[in-house]
Amino acid sequence: MRKFLLLGCGLAAAPLFAQSAIEPVLPSPSRTAQGDVAVTIYNQDRALVQDRRELTLPAGRSRQEFPDVSAQIRPETVTLTGNGIGIVEQNFDFDLLTPAAMMQKAVGETVTLVRINPASGAETRERARILAANGGVVMQIGDRIEVLRDDGLPTRVIFDRVPEQLRARPTLSVTLDAAHGGRQPVTLNYLTGGLGWSADYVALFDEPNGKMNVQGWITLTNRSGTAFTNARTLLVAGDVNPVQQRYRGYALPPPPPPPPGGMVRAGTESAGRERLGGFYLYPLAERTTIADKQTKQVSFLDVSGAPADRAYEYRNPWLGTVDQPQSASSVIRFSTGRAGGLGDALPAGTVRVYQRDARGNPQFVGEHAIGHTPMGSSMSLATGEAFDIKIRPVVAERTRVNTSPRWRTRMLYEVSNASAVPVVVEVVQQGLGGDTRITDETMKSERLNADEALWRVSVPANGRAALSATFDTRY
Amino acid sequence: MRARLILAVALASMPALAGAQSVVTSPKADKVAVTVYRAPYGQGSMDLNWLQGFAMVRETRRVSLPAGESEVRFEGVAGGIVPQSALVEGLADVVEKNRDAKLLSPGTLIDSFLGKRVHLRRTSIATGAVREQDAVVRSSGGGVVLQTAEGFEALRCTGLNETPIADSVPPTLSAKPTLSVRLRAARPVAGTVTLTYLSSGFDWRAHYVATVAPSGDRMSLFAWLTLANGDETGFANADAMAVAGRLNRENVDHVEPEASAIAITCWPSQRTDQIPEEAIPPMAAPPPPPPPPAAMAERGGEDIVLSGSRIQAQRENLGDLKLYRIPIPVSVAARSQKQVVLLDQPQSHFALLYRWPSFFQNQANVPMPTNLVLRMENRTDQGLGLPLPAGNFTLFTARAARPFLLGEGYMTDRAVGETVEVIMELSPSVTVTQRQLTTKGSEGETELTVTNDQASAIRFEAEFKGDRKPLGSSEQLTQRDGAYRWTPTVPANGSRTLRVRYRLRT
Repeated sequence: MRKFLLLGCGLAAAPLFAQSAIEPVLPSPSRTAQGDVAVTIYNQDRALVQDRRELTLPAGRSRQEFPDVSAQIRPETVTLTGNGIGIVEQNFDFDLLTPAAMMQKAVGETVTLVRINPASGAETRERARILAANGGVVMQIGDRIEVLRDDGLPTRVIFDRVPEQLRARPTLSVTLDAAHGGRQPVTLNYLTGGLGWSADYVALFDEPNGKMNVQGWITLTNRSGTAFTNARTLLVAGDVNPVQQRYRGYALPPPPPPPPGGMVRAGTESAGRERLGGFYLYPLAERTTIADKQTKQVSFLDVSGAPADRAYEYRNPWLGTVDQPQSASSVIRFSTGRAGGLGDALPAGTVRVYQRDARGNPQFVGEHAIGHTPMGSSMSLATGEAFDIKIRPVVAERTRVNTSPRWRTRMLYEVSNASAVPVVVEVVQQGLGGDTRITDETMKSERLNADEALWRVSVPANGRAALSATFDTRY
Repeated sequence: MRARLILAVALASMPALAGAQSVVTSPKADKVAVTVYRAPYGQGSMDLNWLQGFAMVRETRRVSLPAGESEVRFEGVAGGIVPQSALVEGLADVVEKNRDAKLLSPGTLIDSFLGKRVHLRRTSIATGAVREQDAVVRSSGGGVVLQTAEGFEALRCTGLNETPIADSVPPTLSAKPTLSVRLRAARPVAGTVTLTYLSSGFDWRAHYVATVAPSGDRMSLFAWLTLANGDETGFANADAMAVAGRLNRENVDHVEPEASAIAITCWPSQRTDQIPEEAIPPMAAPPPPPPPPAAMAERGGEDIVLSGSRIQAQRENLGDLKLYRIPIPVSVAARSQKQVVLLDQPQSHFALLYRWPSFFQNQANVPMPTNLVLRMENRTDQGLGLPLPAGNFTLFTARAARPFLLGEGYMTDRAVGETVEVIMELSPSVTVTQRQLTTKGSEGETELTVTNDQASAIRFEAEFKGDRKPLGSSEQLTQRDGAYRWTPTVPANGSRTLRVRYRLRT
């Protein structure tokens, strides 16, 4: 009631006040309330924002607002530090300024009604007190009670002010206790979702010369709903212990499992990059503005002439037999080592491979995801299937060995090469676990592990090769 | 009026204030090359609203840059661009590449004026009088709230005719999907830059049309290459290519273009009994799933272009893939299909045969239809001998000087030297009846009868697969690749019968 009375006093001056108030609250173009912003972005949809702002504080307790924080801020992670500043209370307001919220918050207050006569266009102004906003707006105008716009005639409702807690964007407000007044820096730290990064690699593969040029790009994506202006940006490669986050009732989808393939032997070399613990750090050289809904790419790696070669693989499941020949996988192999390789650690991302066509223009030939890869690793990336290199595995014979509980299985692998160059196809038979023995084979196999045997089959240009192997198994 | 002039000046100088760099806009490409990659399991005709292949687009654009740092905005890139894949080469050092997903639309426009000044125009229906006043956009999320000199009002909640008017479009909003780069040049330069990127919303198909020659033992094999562009961006005078073979793709997450209408929520809007629910704050919800395919969406504004001059695509090897190049520049229009000749082999050998896929599939003692199979040897001496990309297959013969459809099928990628088999249809004219004669323990005897109602002899094939081993048979079986086959010729209007004793391999 006291509030209402206070408001009533201000009413007479309201239009005048609003007129003058409009100028100072109009922000100058492209200005943000953010101060000196530093953003550290991890891989799994999480980022640490540090925002140093200069605030003019009164001595003692005051409520301060921090607009332009990330709309996906995790309020429980906010820390505010400053010289002699203590936090009394901290709120994160989601209460959005909408026409409906404005009316609901105006209950008990007085607004201006402007009625327009639809026939003459004449306007009549009245002051009305909002009594209730339940299933309709009930107002008191002078000594009568009326329902707003129940007559369907045009009526403007002008609110003198907007309640403080209604905001255009989610806003952080902090009640703090300052030891001394005046202009002083405060630092706001918080974690936020909506910012992520990964690496994207462009590999131009020169197959005849066995070389590859690789460019690495850091790709930042901002879905946080907020722009970060002129920010110092640091990217951290490595997976911080993933805590399942819930955002206002929505569980985030779990991160996808790493795709198969990629690194076949982990490296042991240290790259010449900044590190912290087990993480590689990739600071961006310059400050940058990360706009909302923006994808931003910055170069971080450029290697020319790294050795790379092509290989063909086919993995056959146990008793795998096909009617029609299947294409072998086309694989690109290279190293990330200092000697004979890319000479760097590779943050997780996607490698896109290009090859030049007959006119010398690069064409896309496939892509493969990689995980965080230490320097010195051996990489084997399947970019697709080889059109001209096919294999047809068949179970040629499968018989029980007399009365013993063992089976003899003869497999036939027919490999064909319709290309004009001889190739070597690595044929892997899987499912050899248990006490499987290879009793007979037309060429020597290499047992990769208990489960898999490998043959390197040489196939002449425009030719065929056949491989046969007999397995003695319990099943 | 004066105030508005001042504002216009302020807005014009905004980009300079924002980043102290000049903005160079490149509205379109001077030269484009589009390479289309197919959906891995695509069959039949393509739905332009749901194309699962993709394209690599290579654009050459002329730009001139001032000395220092500038932002170059490439407008008119494909809407399905995968921004991570974009490459910019030439002219100057790339500081960073950006892709803004926000497009110019009523909603994003009013959003960009949050906290800034617009004009509110009201027109009286009664008198036609127009009144304008300045207003500041205070909120645009769930309904627009404006602050005027009189106080706060909600946009279009009055029953009046009113609209906000902006002085200019912020430079960050473009009508078309835009990629921008920050480039740094030591001195003013002019020249070409090459922009390469992948884009979703494209696909292509091969479709084979075979016509049996009057002689009956040859056919003319012809194939169309059909390119489809489901994107809103068209490419005029483009070098168009298609790639056959299967590539590995990864699921790459990218921000979808954002365009929206102005959100108008009112309370009350027309009558006061229309009360909205509790105001719901916008949630940081997980991104919405991709839209489902529009099943029966309207096929408006599409062109299906059949090039009449029979341009044939030229083939070359691209790594382990096959590249087909359309030899002349063509237009790959937005939301359209284009067809050129993929191959034309007028004298191809072929054989038709009827196949029963496996013994013991039909033990019901009733005649069952067989598969009509077209078989080709992909060799030069057979009138073929060239890579055959996967595609649908239509077989015609001539009947009284008019084509007659014999059957349709699908074939996978076939390399040179392979045997190609296409299952065309189920043929009721050649049937198989199987009769089980005896079953004793793990042994048994079965009888297979194949009938032919045609006036010519046909080739038939049946296969013993799986875990049964023949012990003896009334006719000769051949063994190949671990399977036993019966391959008789069935005489005209006749039948053949096979009895076979077998043992189950247990």
